[in-house]
Amino acid sequence: MRTHAAEPWVEAPLQRFVDDARVLFALLLHPSGQVLGQFGFTRAVDVMAACALAAGIHASAGQLGRELDGQPFRELYHAGRDRQIFIGEVRTARESFIFLTAFGDESSLGLVRVFFAEMSTRLAQVVPPKADGPPLAAASLERDLARSLAALFGRAPTPPDGGAAPASSPS
Amino acid sequence: MSSPFEDVLATLIRQRGVLGCIVVGESDGIVVDANVQVGVAEAVVAALAAALFRRARLSSQSAGLGRVTFLQLEAEKGHVCAVGREGLVLVTLAEPRAHIGLIRGAMLQSVEALT
Repeated sequence: MRTHAAEPWVEAPLQRFVDDARVLFALLLHPSGQVLGQFGFTRAVDVMAACALAAGIHASAGQLGRELDGQPFRELYHAGRDRQIFIGEVRTARESFIFLTAFGDESSLGLVRVFFAEMSTRLAQVVPPKADGPPLAAASLERDLARSLAALFGRAPTPPDGGAAPASSPS
Repeated sequence: MSSPFEDVLATLIRQRGVLGCIVVGESDGIVVDANVQVGVAEAVVAALAAALFRRARLSSQSAGLGRVTFLQLEAEKGHVCAVGREGLVLVTLAEPRAHIGLIRGAMLQSVEALT
């Protein structure tokens, strides 16, 4: 199974992480919730939900860290019964991104942290400079979200005149 | 803060050619305690060695060979040795010139402390 990336520079580091760490799901996203690349998801609606939750969790944990420790928490781990979740911040010269991964018995927290650090370094090396553009607005955010999902799941992007975006694939 | 593994690690690190020794959780690959020389990436070695030991244990069980008593990886520039018990793995990283027989003996004696 291959990773799918909305931006081409994401694909190789993400694929390498997935191959090395043997995770079940992986998601790289912008702090706004816009997806950059994913592995393991089959439905756009699941990616949207995971992105929204990861962005919210990361923002909350960051603020909690600032309150408690004077600086944001950058990594978060939760162990479930069968699956575990790791959320970390990827820092690059351009900006920071959020990375979420879920893994089972095939991997471990130690392995995920090791390969996450390697992937972060690779992403920081290949991230292109930020393109100048208008400030982020609600309309453009929604359009970008729809475009990213369309790129990941092989659909035509939503027309810019406000046509409804296909939010999910059939279950 | 001292840990219950301090003496075990101190004994192993004194062996000739030993670059480091680490107690690591087998399931999570997280370092519990370590005594390593400068330059050894203990978190990386620990995570990978724990994964290796776990696979070896599962392979051995699947093949009907019983539990893994001692795991040795011989590489171009040294050795990785591991013993495990109760969900913990004791990992030793050694140079090629190290006396693996002595290290093996010390590790098998130390495995009792992994509880």
